[in-house]
Amino acid sequence: MKKKLLLAVCMAAPSLLLAAESVHQSVSASNRALLDQYCVICHNQAVVNSLATSNEGLQTTQLRNLGLTLDTEDVSDLAANPEVWEKVIKKLRVGVMPPPNYPRPDKVRYDGFRTWLEDELDSIAANRANPGRTQAFHRLNQTEYRNSIRDLLDLNIDVSDLIPADAPDQYGFDNNAEVLALSPLSVERYVNAAHKIAELAIGAPPRGASITTYDVPLNLIQDDRLSEDLPFGSRGGTAIEHLFPVDGEYRITLNLQTNYVDFVRGFDDANEVELSLDGEHLQTYAFGGDAPGIPAPYSYAGNIRGSDDWEEFMMAFADEGFELVLPVKAGPRVIGATFPREMWEAEGVQQPRLFGYQLAVTELPDGNPGIGSVEIEGPLSIDGSGITPSRQQIFSCEPISADEEPACARQILSSLARRAYRRAVTENDVQGLMEFYKQGQLEGGFETGIQFALERLLVSPDFLFRIEQDPRNAEPDSMYPVTDTELASRLSFFLWSSLPDDELLDLVERSELRDPGVLETQVKRMMSDSRSSGFIENFVGQWLYLRNLDGIYPDPAAFPEFDENLREAFQRETELFIDDQIRSDRSLRELLSADYTYVNERLAEHYGIPKIYGNRYRKVMLEGAERGGLFGHGSLMMVTSYPNRTSPVLRGKFVLENLLGGPPPEPPPNVPALETSNDGKQLTMREAMAMHRENPACRVCHAAMDPIGFSLENYDAVGKWRTQFAGQAIDASGLLPDGNTFDGPDGLRGLLLERPDDFVGTITEKLMRFALGRSLEYYDMPEVRGIVRAAREDDYRWSSVILGVIKSAPFQMRGTEL
Amino acid sequence: MKFFNKTLPRRTLLRGIGASLALPLLDSMVPALSAASAQVAQPSKRLGVVYVPNGMAMKAWTPATDGAGFELTRILKPMADYQDRMLVLTGLNGTNSNAGVHASASTRFLTGTIPARTESDLQAAVSVDQLVAKQLGRQTQLGSLELALDQSDVFGSCDIGFSCQYTSTISWRDAYTPLPMETNPRAVFERLFGDTGTTNPAVRLKRIRKDQSLLDAVSERVSELNRQVGAGDRAKLDQYLDAVRDVERRIKMAEAQSNRELPLVDQPAGVPDTYEEHAKLMFDMQVLAYQTDLTRVITFMMGRELTGRTYAEIGVPDSHHPTSHHRDDPALYEKVTKINEFHTSLFAYYLDKLDATSDGNGSLLDHMLMLYGAGMSDSNRHDNTGLPLVLLGGGSGSVKGGRHLRYEEGTPISNLHLTMLDKMGFPVEKIGSSTNALNLLSDV
Repeated sequence: MKKKLLLAVCMAAPSLLLAAESVHQSVSASNRALLDQYCVICHNQAVVNSLATSNEGLQTTQLRNLGLTLDTEDVSDLAANPEVWEKVIKKLRVGVMPPPNYPRPDKVRYDGFRTWLEDELDSIAANRANPGRTQAFHRLNQTEYRNSIRDLLDLNIDVSDLIPADAPDQYGFDNNAEVLALSPLSVERYVNAAHKIAELAIGAPPRGASITTYDVPLNLIQDDRLSEDLPFGSRGGTAIEHLFPVDGEYRITLNLQTNYVDFVRGFDDANEVELSLDGEHLQTYAFGGDAPGIPAPYSYAGNIRGSDDWEEFMMAFADEGFELVLPVKAGPRVIGATFPREMWEAEGVQQPRLFGYQLAVTELPDGNPGIGSVEIEGPLSIDGSGITPSRQQIFSCEPISADEEPACARQILSSLARRAYRRAVTENDVQGLMEFYKQGQLEGGFETGIQFALERLLVSPDFLFRIEQDPRNAEPDSMYPVTDTELASRLSFFLWSSLPDDELLDLVERSELRDPGVLETQVKRMMSDSRSSGFIENFVGQWLYLRNLDGIYPDPAAFPEFDENLREAFQRETELFIDDQIRSDRSLRELLSADYTYVNERLAEHYGIPKIYGNRYRKVMLEGAERGGLFGHGSLMMVTSYPNRTSPVLRGKFVLENLLGGPPPEPPPNVPALETSNDGKQLTMREAMAMHRENPACRVCHAAMDPIGFSLENYDAVGKWRTQFAGQAIDASGLLPDGNTFDGPDGLRGLLLERPDDFVGTITEKLMRFALGRSLEYYDMPEVRGIVRAAREDDYRWSSVILGVIKSAPFQMRGTEL
Repeated sequence: MKFFNKTLPRRTLLRGIGASLALPLLDSMVPALSAASAQVAQPSKRLGVVYVPNGMAMKAWTPATDGAGFELTRILKPMADYQDRMLVLTGLNGTNSNAGVHASASTRFLTGTIPARTESDLQAAVSVDQLVAKQLGRQTQLGSLELALDQSDVFGSCDIGFSCQYTSTISWRDAYTPLPMETNPRAVFERLFGDTGTTNPAVRLKRIRKDQSLLDAVSERVSELNRQVGAGDRAKLDQYLDAVRDVERRIKMAEAQSNRELPLVDQPAGVPDTYEEHAKLMFDMQVLAYQTDLTRVITFMMGRELTGRTYAEIGVPDSHHPTSHHRDDPALYEKVTKINEFHTSLFAYYLDKLDATSDGNGSLLDHMLMLYGAGMSDSNRHDNTGLPLVLLGGGSGSVKGGRHLRYEEGTPISNLHLTMLDKMGFPVEKIGSSTNALNLLSDV
């Protein structure tokens, strides 16, 4: 057969088209044969069209629900249904199809087919580009709102109480325009928020005093210097930034940590606690010391009492905190409360480390006192609006006489509107704001006028929504480059999750944003700017599930050593690591292969890294294969576990979804809970999940997820390295459906690093989704592959990938309506 | 060039927070009663529940005689003025539990069931106040209000093996959703009256007008934008316009009703320093809430179940919970009795205010069904039988007070819940473990 074809080609040499056509035919035939041999057995029309019966196998139901009919799809004309072929590519990328125990083509043919599919789809896309269409009105989410307020008004405010939280879309990102709806409740909240923010920003005198309480979590261990804002030689306590609305008198109250019956902790010995404001010492309070009478035994406090005088002494400060009334200047200030470190070691038998219920009830007589909470009440009296960063930002001019007021108001409001609306300001815009200014000015003078106008600005759709509009005479079913204004917003919300700054707006006004080299320069500037922390918080926080870290409470009985210090360290480690990677413009491969991380003493202790002292985070080089790269991060291991045990399935799913781009489908309904013990004997995870391997319907997906998860079993549910579980040595070997074997996190790393295109491609997909604020469709995939190809030339550096996304068609252009 | 046409994503739903509590509303959201004005021809019934923790010193609670003309015991004496409107109920049982006795106490009080044993997955049952709120709440701005004096700040488990959420609430929206209780009077005020910081009608009216003009301006701008975009893009803005119009409608209603007379109260700064001040302030908020008809169902915990609070101000500097394990020691028993008495005297302050607030053709108290009590009787033994319960108020004439009623052994508290539903006007056949409505109450 082959010989014949060759002959035909040779004889028809001049007719290249004919030759190409027959090559095309033979490739198609070969691919058709491949599909028929390995895929159509299951994915065919007969199965999909069959009627459901009550006793059919789970696999049949799954196949029908999937609806994939590879016998009817035409592999010689991918353009007829590119969506389906992109889906196929996803499965081939992670090698889960054909499922285990089914015949599979050899690696060369397998990879070859996939590559062919990708190349074909890419060339089809090259002929008919489709940048997709973002929504015309894209509401700012909570984070973007907060950052915008911060950058617009130089006001740091926690908006989570003010406006509702946003639910993430099915990919885990909360900046998808499709899910950012607007309900009557939200509108009310935005109006209320506008009142509060305007009042704070202007420094308008509040109606009355209010009390803000800052609680210190009970299981934050206060053994060391806890913050850079607290002095050297201090121990424990807390440093909080509080926004004092106006110059005036405030009362600061310290409450020491007590147990649940209000006994102050660590009261046995004399102690001191210090209060400071912006690093300056305010007052020292002494407490504790020789308690009279007979103490209660060192145990469950309260039920077995000490003598009356001892009991009363222990509760002497139970209801009275330490307080200070003092004048404070308006603005964000740091209140510090901490204890001087003692330089002696406690004697005798110490209480074991307490956790959970014990921690709540016992009074730790031989332990250290701690800060329970800090209350700030005020203003008790008002001296004036003071000089705050937000006032300085807003009042770019100050009218000396009443005549000057309107002009100054215009100047202020135009400037604010330009930044808030992220575009050149029209006379209409200013007029609208000036009307509110006039109302306010009548009521309370110049500053009240500005306050009213600011409220109007903050509820304006031009502020709350990112607006993209088709050009006036756009043809339906076409595409156009987004305006420079729209591009500037896309850039700043991608890289900063916030408003474009003056430099970007200036470039837009001079029509220079799209000049050669300008984009690259700007991207570089923006990534080095401190505001790029918004990118890490928002993109990385959601991509790596870091946002979930705060909501997980590991079972204290299973993990008694877990405390808030560790939770905080997990978060910082990952943030600092990624930040360093991006700023140093490393290759994305180092996310997995890095040989360093950031630890402080607490984290180093957890990881078994010796000789690290103090609370500050520092870069350490790592030895051995246990840590290094994202898999070694406690944060990732914790967010992919349950409170009392690891979950190989969650970990496998994470890798498939966020690193390999082949997310598994939803599990079937009515899956029973996992039995983790059998007749009292605890099972290893592998044993417990035997059903995943035995039932063919389960095996389809779990054959890929479980081995990945098992390879990470050395990390327990709080990321600690272990070699044993359930009385057996941990077996971290894995076998993937495509035949690849690996062992342990090192093996998994190696496996992923062998296919950097896949792993970088997945991150690029996520980046693109985040940058566009919409779901990615099949027509975006060729773009993604193009970016990865280009990045490959530059060793997959962050800058290449990010610039690749920014320069791509979906980012630069927009499709019109059909 | 062909795009594959995508219909609007299914996710274009209106999404609110979906929180179980009503959320802060715009200023002066005086209720959207359908034709109602400040004059209420048929004043509606209100439900109130006040809960005290750690059981009761039963020897100083249970009256010696039954029926009418019973003698007030020491703990009941602070409520002497209301004896004729009070029904002391003795002999009702909560479900027994061997573990988590405190978690069971608070949970069973309004649900009649005990909690499932877990620190994470919570399960009980819907509470009777929420059943009432589902009905009454349709006519008020806030379906119900859940308040407390103790913060739930002990993480993890409070009663060993049981999540802290069990002991810090008595209201359950459904079997899996315990409702958080608000402890900060400032937050309560804001939820009721918005953020002008005062009930002063002139101030609030000014805010209403300003918000109206803000929203007018917004609508104008949105309509302008709407004209500039294609049909497909309008959906988002239409959603925005609908939302704005909805809020405007409520503002208009609020403006129409803003002449309702209210005591002049300023927003509290936060949680007051002493227990007594805190309790009284929260009681004041509750009266205001009923008075403005912002809600008709309020539950209030005067302390977290298993609380260790001390009461130095009444000469009991000992922690409540350990003291409640009196072991029949007379000195300790005296201390617990004092604490219970303190609670009822504060409760009497609340009753005084309710009685003094006029409500159509009577007082608020006349139209209220109020339940006061604890989820366990003798605290030393964590006794679940013969719970200390008092039913107060006129219930709009449906409750005849002035009697001490004793029920036969084993009568479940769910029978009381059944009767409460009946008195509030929402009779059901069965609730929790009820066997029957409470007999002696229904001959009214």
